[in-house]
Amino acid sequence: MGAKSTRRDSVTTSNAFWRSNGFQKWLSRRLPPSNTVNLNQKNIFILPTRQGVYFALLIFFMVLAGVNYQNSLIYGLAFLLSSLFMVSILHTFRNLSGLTLSAGKSDMVFAGEDAEFEVILSRNGRRTYEAIVLGWDADSMANADLLEKREVTVKLFVKTKTRGVLNPGRLMVQTVYPVGLFRAWSWVDLDARTLVFPRPVDGGAVPAAESMGDEGDMPQKQGVEDFHGLREFEPGDSPRHISWKTYARTDELQVKEFSGFVDRRIWLDWDYFAGMDRESRLSRLCFWVLQASKTSDEYGLRLPGFERSPANSAAHRLQLLKDLAVFESETGLMSGTEAKTR
Amino acid sequence: MIQYQIPRNSLVWLLVAQAAVILPHISRIPWWITLVCLACGLWRVMIYQGRWAYPGRWVKVMFVVCGIAGIPLGYQKIYGVEPAVALLIVAFVLKLLEMKDKRDAGIVVLLAYFVALTEFLFLQTIPATLYMLFAVIMITAGLVGLNQTRSHHNPLLTLKTALVLVGQSIPLMLILFVLFPRISPLWSVPLQTEFGRTGVTNSMSPGDISRLTQSDGLAFKATFKADVPKYSALYWRGLVLSEFDGTTWTQDKLLGRDAWRFNEEAPDWASDVEYRGGSVEYEIMLEPTQQNWLFALAMPELPKIADVVMLHDFRLASRSPVRQRLRYDLKSNLNYSLERELSSFWRYRYTRIPDKGNERARALAQERFRNSSTPRSYVRETLQMYGLEDFTYTLKPPLLGKDGIDAFLFESRRGFCEHFAGSFVFLMRAAGVPARVVLGYHGGEYNPTGKFVSVRQFDAHAWAEVWIEGEGWIRFDPTSAVAPERIERGLEAAVESENSFLEDSPLSLLKYRELLWLTDLRLQIDALGHYWDTWVVGYTPETQVGLLEQYIGKVDRKKLGSIMLAAFFTVLGVVGLFILSRRTYRPMSAMDKTYLRFCLAASRIGVERRVGEGANDFADRLSEKFPELKVEILMVTQLFIEAEYKGRADPSLVREIKKAVRTFRRKSLTAL
Repeated sequence: MGAKSTRRDSVTTSNAFWRSNGFQKWLSRRLPPSNTVNLNQKNIFILPTRQGVYFALLIFFMVLAGVNYQNSLIYGLAFLLSSLFMVSILHTFRNLSGLTLSAGKSDMVFAGEDAEFEVILSRNGRRTYEAIVLGWDADSMANADLLEKREVTVKLFVKTKTRGVLNPGRLMVQTVYPVGLFRAWSWVDLDARTLVFPRPVDGGAVPAAESMGDEGDMPQKQGVEDFHGLREFEPGDSPRHISWKTYARTDELQVKEFSGFVDRRIWLDWDYFAGMDRESRLSRLCFWVLQASKTSDEYGLRLPGFERSPANSAAHRLQLLKDLAVFESETGLMSGTEAKTR
Repeated sequence: MIQYQIPRNSLVWLLVAQAAVILPHISRIPWWITLVCLACGLWRVMIYQGRWAYPGRWVKVMFVVCGIAGIPLGYQKIYGVEPAVALLIVAFVLKLLEMKDKRDAGIVVLLAYFVALTEFLFLQTIPATLYMLFAVIMITAGLVGLNQTRSHHNPLLTLKTALVLVGQSIPLMLILFVLFPRISPLWSVPLQTEFGRTGVTNSMSPGDISRLTQSDGLAFKATFKADVPKYSALYWRGLVLSEFDGTTWTQDKLLGRDAWRFNEEAPDWASDVEYRGGSVEYEIMLEPTQQNWLFALAMPELPKIADVVMLHDFRLASRSPVRQRLRYDLKSNLNYSLERELSSFWRYRYTRIPDKGNERARALAQERFRNSSTPRSYVRETLQMYGLEDFTYTLKPPLLGKDGIDAFLFESRRGFCEHFAGSFVFLMRAAGVPARVVLGYHGGEYNPTGKFVSVRQFDAHAWAEVWIEGEGWIRFDPTSAVAPERIERGLEAAVESENSFLEDSPLSLLKYRELLWLTDLRLQIDALGHYWDTWVVGYTPETQVGLLEQYIGKVDRKKLGSIMLAAFFTVLGVVGLFILSRRTYRPMSAMDKTYLRFCLAASRIGVERRVGEGANDFADRLSEKFPELKVEILMVTQLFIEAEYKGRADPSLVREIKKAVRTFRRKSLTAL
């Protein structure tokens, strides 16, 4: 279940009953996960807020004053407020029922960052909605109005701690509009998911490139037929590759590139971090993936029982990050609560 | 973290509501509390504008100490309704000043509702009720504003939402009002004390009643079951004054001691009255007098009301002072005889006058009594004296010094009813005829719409009762001898030539009786007020049971409760259906309106927009048929689409599309 309770936001979520397994089971029967949820009397709950309880007390004192002073108009005021109290139940319910929520896009993030989920609120017909509060995390609830527009997209953030598939669980959507005496709410499971990559940890310099396949020592193998082109000299280039002819002609230091050097391949290997636990290794490998992707080198990944052959592209980088995210992931489908309450 | 600010829409209405609920109390609270209210409101606005900070702790402590200490100083007491209300108001404004978060604001709203309630402790008229209804709507608007998002900037829309909420609550309130079982007070509560009440006092000295007649305040209303007796018979007996010290008439203490309650055995004097018919039944709705006495036409029968007693002089009194409007049903017999036998003890007490003073009057009485054949003829001759000699009935009698009766009878000869009644009783007693002054009201204005008689303070009157051997107490009104029109038509007619009627209240509607439409309007308003007082303000447990038994038969509390709940939830269901099925009709935006005008213009030149056709498709079809209009068509369409996707059209966009549609229409006409 998604929303963590805070003192400010709800009376109900802090209650042990709402967290109990039985209730959660009942809830998932009643409100099964779905990408689009339409709120109606089946899935909206409504109870007085703290203000509502105070309001009821006020009415009680007013009736008492009416009785003791035998004052019809005091009775009248007390009755007017009682009626307002009852009518506000209907208004608060109305302000949630008929609202449609659906999961929008979500971005993948590194563990420790806030995962961003988009939730789309839409209305059918002419009913409008005001002051809808929604979110997974009681600390960062978002407000939305649906007045002129037919739909709004709300960005919601969920804190992440560990890698894996993140399902933030049930989304709390609630409203106290218009008078704050009642709170109507629902927990909807929009089946929203995103992938959390390991948190990158500096693992030192990316290992040096090695030769292609089993062709042995690269420099000795070079030949004229492998000549690929010229490029500007960079510190660290071997002087043997400098094209002196070009230097003589243009005064510029250029190095000859051979095809053997273009195809440098880096293996980001699990075994480099021997002695560390799994998550530390994955964090460092993640760092290396990010570093290697900034170069033109091809990089591959070796994990126990798993190998991804080297390449260099944005898609490859994402693939490797995904591999790291799900590798021996505890749940594979890690729920939001577990991700956060660690 | 950014500090929470009470939303503007909420704050605006809370401040307005604060002013609205406190305003009617201003005349009742010490002036410095009004000052504190103003200061707190101003400070609050300054906080909102970010100019001032919240008051520091010591400022708050100072406010609280001053508020709590100042109230008993201002009222000279701590127990009672007024100090409690003042305390509530101080607490309310201080909380308003101090509120920082939503929870504080919620408490301010609750306090505001409670302050609104206190107004009904003092005033229960229709205008006061309507005023407080608006105050409640404004407080509710403050509550709604508190729960809106910050994108709302228009406080009037917030008020509209509150109006809808309160409006939908009213049918439910009416059901509760009529059907909620009324119960008697659980414990006794302090009631409000006097605030500027005028009325007949418990003594009479010259000038008392003429002062009272400057007020058009309502004394009581009487609703007769059958026809109203003729005007001259409407003598509303209130007090009997039979002690005289030379200037002031007061009550005989002994008379007040014997009280006869309806559920007790009748005292021996109860048989002294003989009812001889001419009975009228009526209900009196008495305004608070803070006094014990009640008014009744002579001669009332003892009503079956627990708190009402009959005293030895056959007038009615309430056991506790009338602090709230009191209703009582009475039956009076206009024909009666009272105390045909008078013991020598009472004969002595009713002929007592001071041994000295007013010597000329004393001498005159004795001389005239000697010359008349019977006490009855003495009385008649004395009354004739007032009519024959040059006595003047005036609202502006001169001040009389020592020996006031002599000065009145032999010098000024200008007086009001108290002068006539007082001197007449003196003349009786000086001759040894038992007599007493009766204080009360005479007449009243009949309201044909409401079928009741309103008796106002200016109807206050004093007359005399004289005891005649074999006949008992007979009413004589010396005023009628001087100014018969007072008794036939009322005070205004009697002082017409003097122009002194309600001289001090130039705005009183009662002064303009010659304007018939105004009088008619006033009578209608009075009648409305009377229905209000009877059916709303006076909706007591008895009224409730009476009303319900008329329609649904015998009711007990349990049955009443279940009827109430059934009716309440039925109406709540209807309101609920209305709320839930109600589509929120928003006025069409200027953008949509303009686009519709465009479509209309297009249909005039033969291209109708199809149901569900997109704006772009329509534009294509239209420009195919009218290529010469293509520029305008595309412009309108593009602007419309842009506005639709932006969600909210900015005014410049609306201006542009309007211009484009205008051009299109002009050109389309020429295109045909």
